[in-house]
Amino acid sequence: MKKKILSVLLAVAMMGTMLAGCGNNENDGGNSGSGSSGTGSTAASSTPDSGAASSGGTGDSAGAEPVTLRWAIWDQETTQYWGDIKAAYEATHDNVTIEMVDLGSTDYMTVLATELSGQGSEFDVVTVKDVPGYATLVQKNAIIPLDDYIKADGVDLEQYAGATDQVVVDGKLYELPFRNDFWVLFYNKDLFDAANVPYPTNDMTFEQYDELARKMTDTTFGSQVYGAHYHTWRSAVQLFAVLDGQHTILDGSYEFMKPYYEMVLNQEADGVARKYSDLKTEGLHYSAAFSGGDVAMLNMGSWFIATMITNLKSGEYDSQLCGNWGIVKYPHAEGVEPGSTLGTITGLAVTSATDTPDAAWDFVKWVSGEEGAAVMASSGNFPAIMTEEVVNLITGLEGFPTDDASKEALNVSNLYLEVPYAPNVSEINSVLDSYHGSIMSGEMSIDDGIAAMNTEVSKILGQ
Amino acid sequence: MPKMDEAQKAIKINSLQEELTALIASVRTEKDVKKKRRLIAKIGDYNRKIDTLKSGRLLSRETKRDLVAYSFIAPNFIGFCVFTLIPIVFAFALAFMRWDGSNPIQWAGLRNFAGLWNDIFFKAALKNTIIYCIGTVPLTMIASLALAIVLNQKVMGRGIFRTLSFFPYVASLVAITAVWKMLFHPSKGPINNILYNVFHVSQESLPQWFTGSLVLLSMILFSVWKYMGYYMVIYLAGLQGISGELYEAASLDGANTWDKFRYITWPQLSSTTFFVVVMLTINCFKVYDIAIMLAGGGSGELTTSSTVLVYYIYQKAFIDWDLGYSSAVAMVLFLMVLVVTVIQFRGQAKRERA
Repeated sequence: MKKKILSVLLAVAMMGTMLAGCGNNENDGGNSGSGSSGTGSTAASSTPDSGAASSGGTGDSAGAEPVTLRWAIWDQETTQYWGDIKAAYEATHDNVTIEMVDLGSTDYMTVLATELSGQGSEFDVVTVKDVPGYATLVQKNAIIPLDDYIKADGVDLEQYAGATDQVVVDGKLYELPFRNDFWVLFYNKDLFDAANVPYPTNDMTFEQYDELARKMTDTTFGSQVYGAHYHTWRSAVQLFAVLDGQHTILDGSYEFMKPYYEMVLNQEADGVARKYSDLKTEGLHYSAAFSGGDVAMLNMGSWFIATMITNLKSGEYDSQLCGNWGIVKYPHAEGVEPGSTLGTITGLAVTSATDTPDAAWDFVKWVSGEEGAAVMASSGNFPAIMTEEVVNLITGLEGFPTDDASKEALNVSNLYLEVPYAPNVSEINSVLDSYHGSIMSGEMSIDDGIAAMNTEVSKILGQ
Repeated sequence: MPKMDEAQKAIKINSLQEELTALIASVRTEKDVKKKRRLIAKIGDYNRKIDTLKSGRLLSRETKRDLVAYSFIAPNFIGFCVFTLIPIVFAFALAFMRWDGSNPIQWAGLRNFAGLWNDIFFKAALKNTIIYCIGTVPLTMIASLALAIVLNQKVMGRGIFRTLSFFPYVASLVAITAVWKMLFHPSKGPINNILYNVFHVSQESLPQWFTGSLVLLSMILFSVWKYMGYYMVIYLAGLQGISGELYEAASLDGANTWDKFRYITWPQLSSTTFFVVVMLTINCFKVYDIAIMLAGGGSGELTTSSTVLVYYIYQKAFIDWDLGYSSAVAMVLFLMVLVVTVIQFRGQAKRERA
């Protein structure tokens, strides 16, 4: 009997200490909550100041309290612009210290969502890597809508060329893009010269592209040349289909993707492109494939431009193999304006847990504004605001292809986000990814795979 | 506590003593085993009460001893509670809720479980996990037992062979999956090259080891190869525990090798086999790393032909942030492991009694 009582007592004591622990946490939360409202109001009173400061260009921060902003990023070591942004912002805002927290790129959004779950998150500004992750953060109420700030500071959303319209949630915008990558076609000029085939152009239909890829292909053992290369991402194949502007991946019926799957799978079968299942097994990275010098054309995002320039300069890529490269616009479907392409925006958002939302907003506004854009462009990256100046900065970089077609390729006529916002976009994404894998690896026929996508996505949309 | 004077104490002790003798008498006459046990426990209680009164201490010796014991368990147990027990209990509760980790928890009743039956990905994961278990458990057991028996003989270089077969277990999973992927590479791997050059399998019908229906076979083969060394060691220990006299006696009776295995080795190893099978089953149901490493490719996404329950739990919880639903899947996994283990425990208990 006694033993039982004792064990019960022990258990109760333990629960007690634990609850006390929880209580403490809650108290902490409460404290920081009240603290945040306090600092919030002081920061609010200083907003006009900071607004004037940023419009004036120099920091009029005399008297402003020192603020530290914790900013979630990835791959600090290998990505130059994080540090550039921090340095440039701190130079004009004396009272602000930016503290970068590197969460790694592989599962950045998963780690970030976990960090922002529950209480006690310490981030003020977070980088939003993709739209499914954005949807998750919005649903978790981890980031705050920016509309009031946008209105108050008169930020012109027009300058983002419609990208922000595709991530509006119930009429509210929770992020501002600072980086906008779009897909172009990279090609290896040396291979085209050697085969005596004219370079791809900025105005190609998919039929012409397919023909060109086949013309470039050489299946002789030992001196293979692949006319095209498709990375294992779903975007690299499936999203050719949304460029006609009439379909999106949220449709729930995906028959329109069939011709593109057929084109790519036929190319694989004829040795024009490396096989998906081989790529999956090897884990071959697209950069390794293209820099290996046996790939004539590669469809990839504009982020690869900066990679090419840096790695050719550092000698990591052999300039004998891929040093002579160029870019052209994405191929387009019959009757569609050339220059329609896929885009991915990288945005900044203010967390709901921050103590200093106004300082955080000022940082977000600055980075996604023209000053931030200049910093981004100086290292060959594409800011969300594309001005004449930015284009000139990038095309003027040492190592950027010198031909006119490559410069012209940067003019985008229609930008479709790889993943536009929808409440269930994360689940839809998982379904599409899974069946993309099934179709590409030959586990399912194209028709079966598309039928499965239709049923599963309709189920999600019907919820 | 007010102090009792000696006289009162003596009276109390006497009355307790009387009750105790009555109890002892009733135990002697009691026929029902259960009741008898309860009465005996009561006797213990009385003895302890009398002891406490006699010694006049606040805590009896037994209580003190127990407290010391509990204090030794406490650090580990508190850790276990905070990091394992409470999350498990919470997961049970979550299976009936709807929660995304941030917004308020909502009651969902059985909706999460109802959703499972229409979920193609869940069904695929369940099917793959079960096939993987059915393939892996017996194969690993047989392979490790055979290895153990062979390497228990006095063969040349026994130590080297033992080490070699234990090596895959020690080696890093990431490294050896990379090697397997090269060996089984669908177009450049030596295995498919042999099939193509020696057995003249046409290029189109070369097996795609890491996709489609073959991926489970690859996973099973890999897992047998990786884990047989570990279970071999356990079997070796079991084999060395069998007395040599048994085999000697069997030889005198004219038993051949198969008879010796059938009537001596196998029955003597039954408890080892039981342990091996239980551990194998539990580990197989929990498979995740092998699937991701072999079939996940660069992005670590699994298609319906290779997805497993634990991967689906992860995906639902940390990609889609549907913690309730993912807990429901976890409950299914838990139930399966529980049922299999209970059946095995029952079988073992029966065998031991027989």
